[in-house]
Amino acid sequence: MQPNTLVVLLGTTTLGLCCGLVGSLLLLRKRALLADALAHSTLPGIVLGFLIAGSQSYWALGLGALLTTLLAAVLVSRLPILTRIRQDSATASILGIFFGAGIALLSIAQRSGPGAFSAGLDHFLLGQAAGMLQSEAITLTLSATVVSFLMILLHKELLVSCFDSSFGKGIGMSMGRVDLLVMLILAITIVISLPAVGVVLTAALIVIPPATARFWTDRFNRLLTISGLLGAVAGAAGTLLSSLRVDLPTGPVIVICAATLFSVSLIVAPHKGLLGKRLRWIQRKQRREMQRILIFLHENLLSGNDFVARERILAGSLNASSSALRLCTLSGYTEMAGTHIRLTTEGIRRAERSISARNRWIQWLDSEAEIDRNLIDLDEEDIEKLLDRKSMEIPPLDKGANL
Amino acid sequence: MSETAIEIHDLTMAYREKPVLWDIDVEIPKGSLCAVVGPNGAGKSTLLGCVLGTHQPANGWIKIFDVPSDRSDELIGFVPQRESVDWDFPVQVLDVVMMGTYRRLGWFRWPGKAQRDWAMECLSAVGMADLHSRQIGELSGGQQQRVFIARALAQDAKIILMDEPFAGVDAATEETIRTVLADLKKDDRTVVIVHHDLQTIEDYFDHVLLLNLRLVAAGPTKTTFTRENLLRTYGGQLTLLDEAAEAVRRIRSGRSIRKSGDR
Repeated sequence: MQPNTLVVLLGTTTLGLCCGLVGSLLLLRKRALLADALAHSTLPGIVLGFLIAGSQSYWALGLGALLTTLLAAVLVSRLPILTRIRQDSATASILGIFFGAGIALLSIAQRSGPGAFSAGLDHFLLGQAAGMLQSEAITLTLSATVVSFLMILLHKELLVSCFDSSFGKGIGMSMGRVDLLVMLILAITIVISLPAVGVVLTAALIVIPPATARFWTDRFNRLLTISGLLGAVAGAAGTLLSSLRVDLPTGPVIVICAATLFSVSLIVAPHKGLLGKRLRWIQRKQRREMQRILIFLHENLLSGNDFVARERILAGSLNASSSALRLCTLSGYTEMAGTHIRLTTEGIRRAERSISARNRWIQWLDSEAEIDRNLIDLDEEDIEKLLDRKSMEIPPLDKGANL
Repeated sequence: MSETAIEIHDLTMAYREKPVLWDIDVEIPKGSLCAVVGPNGAGKSTLLGCVLGTHQPANGWIKIFDVPSDRSDELIGFVPQRESVDWDFPVQVLDVVMMGTYRRLGWFRWPGKAQRDWAMECLSAVGMADLHSRQIGELSGGQQQRVFIARALAQDAKIILMDEPFAGVDAATEETIRTVLADLKKDDRTVVIVHHDLQTIEDYFDHVLLLNLRLVAAGPTKTTFTRENLLRTYGGQLTLLDEAAEAVRRIRSGRSIRKSGDR
């Protein structure tokens, strides 16, 4: 590892943190495309800064980038108000116009300027963190600290402005000031991330971490925290990977790391991940199926048939799945006797419990519940818990037996 | 005569050149349960926005308990229209209710245990305490409305504005919201509600404000909710006339039939 790598690592990690934090605000305002537009509109500023200052000084380029970004931000927010152009069209147009102008300026600069000086300018397109100076890394860290600090201090104002800004206005919070602050933080974050991640991919680093974090939490504060951490991890991992091969630009590698985190979360996140959803769906289906079998066997038991043929369960009006039946046997609710099946004592208890819970539940739904679509399909444990908590005075049903 | 909660004087409101409210002059007494009624596009929501302070009127002024609204410290609760809320937003029920305490906290300060307890108390008042850690999208329509009513309670708002709380809710929910409204009235709070269902006005509200760009009539339901006023409000809009006519028939027949499942 080169000694410089540590400096770069610090820079990109805090940068990832910063992008993740700011990105979650954009995500929640449904303005993710804005990040892309603003990132692309830095390019003309970078080149103009270079042409005017005549050198690739960090500050000249940064200032140029900040100015064109802010101009783009103003245009994107004012155009839909002043004209009939819709927000998304305005955002897309500004992106195209500014980036196009930037590319044109870039080729002019590269042809006319002294080759040696202008050579590195195209690094801003994809980012090249390996060349990061110590002073740049410190700037990054400082900015990221300030941004995080501001967001911690202002988290409730930010929450209101994202969730319900007319409520915010109504209670006298200055939503305009909060919006301005968010815009400013966003512009600064984009500008400081250019050397490492580049114009084209900065938006990805801003948008992907919060989208990933959304899989893991339903709370605002946690979304911000997780998103910031994911950004930091992506930044660090991307830098380390790209430092293994000098010819790999950092930006794409960081974004690939962020995208990997996203894909993993998409699949394994316990609550919203695809895998968990699928498993829960199968489990619920299986339990309903088992319930059907047990109740069916119980009915037969009451009419005097202890043993029921396996085919009658798997075909006919019940048409249950064989895996559910196997599960019933494995759980000790039913036992096989040749081709016939019967309930064990535990199975009888279970079936009676199901029936009684269902009857109480139906009675409760009939009597007073406002229908809550999360509640209609419950297992007997949930029903019992819920009815107890609501201290419902429904007499335990003994008529469950004659169902 | 009772105190005036909201006084609106010569109010005109326009988006660009097009006026949406014109020359509104009205007083809403304290402790009343007031319905704002009028056809689509009559400016009902805009009127609420003006009282709340999110819209700047072009002319005229609003006083809240005798203080000009822009200088008033009085907190106004607002229950937004259900479609205007992002139900997928990552906030829990308690977080939303705690927003009601933000104004008193001021900039930068974090809500603490006191605010949490107070928010829980307000949630209990609408019977939602045991759902405090749900994400707001997981609630039923009526529960969602009650969360926002709890937020208004957390503001300790003397005035609560609601934008169509009864739109698209089932009968049981409607009943729940009515109970909450009755409680609010008992506390002497002033509640102003944009309402669409002309059939239920007489049963639910003691005040009514008929609006169609201009103020057609305002006052106690008994004297204001009349055939003439309704026809003046819904005048040209034939589609709505049927509904108005039915409401008028009910007024004529002099019975206040409780709304049943025949709707």
